[in-house]
Amino acid sequence: MGIVIAVISGKGGVGKTTATANLGLGIAMNGKKCVLVDFDIGQRNLDMILGLENRVVYDMVQVMEGEANIKQAAIKSKANENLHFLAASQTKDKSVLDSAKVEKLVADLKESYDFVILDAPAGIESGYEHTIEFADAAIVVVNPEVSSIRDADRAIGILDSKSAKVKNGEEVAKYLIINRIVADMVESGEMLKSEDILEILNIKLLGKVPEDKGVIDASNQGKPVILDKKSIAGQAYSRIAGRLCGQKVDMKDIEVADTGVFKKLAGMFK
Amino acid sequence: MKSKQYSVKVYETTITDESKFMDFFDSNYTLFKDHLIVIQGTMSKTIENYLVNKKLKYLNDVVLPKGRTRKALEDELNFEKVDIAVSQQITQNELERLSTQLQNNLTVMDEMIRSGRELNIQGDLLLLNRVNSGATIKTTGNLIITKVVEGSIRCYGNFMMLTASPKANIVFHNVEVDNNLLEERLNRVEFTNNEIIITPVLKKEINWA
Repeated sequence: MGIVIAVISGKGGVGKTTATANLGLGIAMNGKKCVLVDFDIGQRNLDMILGLENRVVYDMVQVMEGEANIKQAAIKSKANENLHFLAASQTKDKSVLDSAKVEKLVADLKESYDFVILDAPAGIESGYEHTIEFADAAIVVVNPEVSSIRDADRAIGILDSKSAKVKNGEEVAKYLIINRIVADMVESGEMLKSEDILEILNIKLLGKVPEDKGVIDASNQGKPVILDKKSIAGQAYSRIAGRLCGQKVDMKDIEVADTGVFKKLAGMFK
Repeated sequence: MKSKQYSVKVYETTITDESKFMDFFDSNYTLFKDHLIVIQGTMSKTIENYLVNKKLKYLNDVVLPKGRTRKALEDELNFEKVDIAVSQQITQNELERLSTQLQNNLTVMDEMIRSGRELNIQGDLLLLNRVNSGATIKTTGNLIITKVVEGSIRCYGNFMMLTASPKANIVFHNVEVDNNLLEERLNRVEFTNNEIIITPVLKKEINWA
């Protein structure tokens, strides 16, 4: 019996889908069976970021409608065989989702995978509500900026009122990933500090991901950045995936500007 | 030159009512018998005789060599005292004052009010948590929020109590309150003679827990 995690953000463009792809791969690299489900119906992206766009035969809507079973629709990742992927439908829209069908899909996936990760659409409409409805936990992805924080706050509020678990009197675990942190800007005060973000959102910190130009290229290539051992964002996602798999990984402080040998040398000549 | 230095206790006063003065010394004689009595202003023969009879040492109309004037000393003492006692005393006064203005149905909440949430409270609300940006709270009664407010507040009660909240949108009886006027700790916002008065209530942070 696996765990169902919804990746949410409220605001679009903060890195939800990128985080989903990288965490899924990271979890698979830890030897756990993981399936990623794209819930952004009508605007699917996850297939591209995983580099699997040309392998999609059946999508998750067809699975829900009973036109295909999970085995037929689940696409195995090229990078790791533990990672499977269910694409969203690109031709339909989110009105095709209904609670009973989503519940069944999620329950079926839980049977055969350790981790079921649902990539929520941006916004807080019905598509989002269906994504979070049957999730056991949520990962909230934010950027260190006020608009992202407020939207995430709203999304958490909806999660806390609409999730099936909450309606049963239980609590949905919520974890925060702060994405695209620029250490220099945090130090100069231009970017929100993670303590401030945590104070506003009041949920547990799962990890911090630094800004990394390599992410865009990795997405374009369909090779998630976690595969690049040198990438700082990739390393951050590895640490987070480790934490999700129950390892004790210390929180690395990426909000302090890099003081490598060259910077130290430069400092000496000031 | 031979000399000695003493510290003397001085009782300084001016006489307005002679009989009262004598009554006072009659009853407090033991307390003041070793004091130097300084009478500022006019002193009648009666008083002089009285003091001589009582064997009290006295001076009339002298400027005592004091480091600070008595007034300054008193002020300073008072100031310190006030500073120390202020939070307790004021809190108590505040509570007494406010208790008469409280409405009946008080709601107490200790949960974060997240963005998008709208609370409509009939009666008073005591909120022990944050109000995030994008959240709205309306109360028909009084409103006390002990943590920072970044959302909107509409209060129609007799008073509000808020901490400094630079990002908040605060409306008290349809009048927008300038949040620059809110100081660090709790502030009381109320109507007095058709004017909104904001008073900082506490100098020290109170621990509500």
